[in-house]
Amino acid sequence: MPSPNDFRLQDGTVIDHLPVGTAARALAILGLPREGPVTVGMNVPSTRYGHKDIIRVEGLELRKSETDRLALLGTHVTVAIVKGGRIASKQRLEIPERLVGVLRCQNPTCITNHERVHTVFDRTASTPLQLRCAYCERASAEPYTFVSGS
Amino acid sequence: MSPAHGFRGRHVVSAEDFSKDELLHLLDTAAFFEHDVGPRLAGKILATLFFEPSTRTRLSFESAMHRLGGSVIGFADEKATSRTKGESLADTIRMVEGYCDAIVIRHPMEGAARLAAETARVPVINGGDGSNQHPTQTFLDLYTIRKATGRLDGLRVGFFGDLRYSRTVHSLAKALLHFDVAMSFIGPPMLRLPQELRETLGARGRLGREVEGLDDARPLDVLYVTRIQKERFPDPADYERMKNAYRLDRAAAERFGPDLKILHPLPRVTEVATDVDDLPGALYFEQARNGVTVRKALLSLVLADADASGGGLA
Repeated sequence: MPSPNDFRLQDGTVIDHLPVGTAARALAILGLPREGPVTVGMNVPSTRYGHKDIIRVEGLELRKSETDRLALLGTHVTVAIVKGGRIASKQRLEIPERLVGVLRCQNPTCITNHERVHTVFDRTASTPLQLRCAYCERASAEPYTFVSGS
Repeated sequence: MSPAHGFRGRHVVSAEDFSKDELLHLLDTAAFFEHDVGPRLAGKILATLFFEPSTRTRLSFESAMHRLGGSVIGFADEKATSRTKGESLADTIRMVEGYCDAIVIRHPMEGAARLAAETARVPVINGGDGSNQHPTQTFLDLYTIRKATGRLDGLRVGFFGDLRYSRTVHSLAKALLHFDVAMSFIGPPMLRLPQELRETLGARGRLGREVEGLDDARPLDVLYVTRIQKERFPDPADYERMKNAYRLDRAAAERFGPDLKILHPLPRVTEVATDVDDLPGALYFEQARNGVTVRKALLSLVLADADASGGGLA
C-alpha cells in the first residue's frame, strides 16, 4: 500500500513537518477539504524529526493569515508549492513579529474579547515561543485559540 | 529634539512607553508646577471617562485641570452612558473626542486604554485599565520618592504586601529599572512577583531580595506598601491570616530608623496601622496630593507643551 509520502501533487501545496497530532488542527485552520483532493499522513516516519504529520492539497495556495496560523503549530513546519508536479518553492514557516487577527486573547477581561477589534500579539521571544497581547499585555501560552472566520 | 516635544499630543497608555529622559522631564516639570503657574489650559476641555469607580484618580485629574484654568466634562459611572444601550467603546471615544481636547479613561477591561488611543484623534491618558496599567500612579510614585529623598539613584526600595496582583508594584518596579535602585520584595510566597516580572528584573540583575518578613528587608530608604486584596483568596481564613501577618505597625516602621519613607497608593485598609500616620516618613497622603501636581504637569505637557522653565502655551 502506498504511503502518503508517495502521493504526487500536480499543482498544490504540501504542508510538511507538522508535529505529530496536529494534522487535524491544520485541516481545521485551513477549512479543508474544500474542492481539490487532500491526503493526510499522520505519524509518518521523518528522517529529520522521527515522526511527523503531513498534508498535501491539490489546487491550494495559502494566504498569509493561514501560514501565520500554521506556523503556530510547530517550529519546523514547512510549506512547499508544487507546480507541474515539481516543487517550485519551499519555505519553513516563521512566526512573524506581530500577529494580527490570528489568535484570541486568553485573558477573559482583555478588551479584545469584548469589542470588535483585531487582536494583536507581539512575539517577545522565539525559543521558547512567547507571545504577548498588545492590548492587555498578558502573555499567551499553548494551546492557542484561533480567531474564527478570518 | 527636547523631551518636551515628545509629550505634546501624545497618548499616555503605559509608563513603559516613556524613556528615562522623558520621565525625568515630567518630574522636573511637576516640580515647577508646585508653584502657581496660572491658567495655562484656559479654554481647554478634558473629558474624564470613568467606566468604573475611582476616587483619587478622577478627582485629582479634575482638580489638576481646574487649577490650570481648564474645564472638565465626563462621567463617573458607566450606568449613566450609552454603553448600557450597547454602544462600543470605539464609538464612545469617537463621539467624545469631538467634545474635548484630551481624554482620561478608566476602564475595567485590560487594554481598553490602548484601544481608545488607537481610536481617538485627541490624546488619551490611561487612568487605569483593569489590572494592567496605571501610568500616572507610577509617575506620582516616582515624583514622591524623588521629592522626599532628593534622588532616584542610589536608593534601597522595598515593596511590601501583594506583589503578585498589584499593578502599582509591577509598574513602579519596571520604572525603577531606569535608575540605580536596589529593590527588595517582601510578601508571602503565594503573593510573590509574577514569573514574567521576576524574569524581567532578573535579566537586568535587579530582582534583589525576596523575603517574607519586614525585618529581613532592613535597611531600606523607601517602603512601598500595597493592600492585600480579599478577593484574591479563595479561603477567607487565608486572607485573615495574611492580613494580620502583613501589616506595618509603628514599632516595625521605627525599626527601619527615622529616615524611612513610607508610600502607599491608597486606599489603605489594615496593612498600615493608623499610628504610623504621624511618623515624619509616612508620605501616603502627601503622595495622593502629589497626584494633582504630577497630573497638572502631564496635562500641560500633553496639551500645551509646557516645560520646566515655565515655557508654555504655543
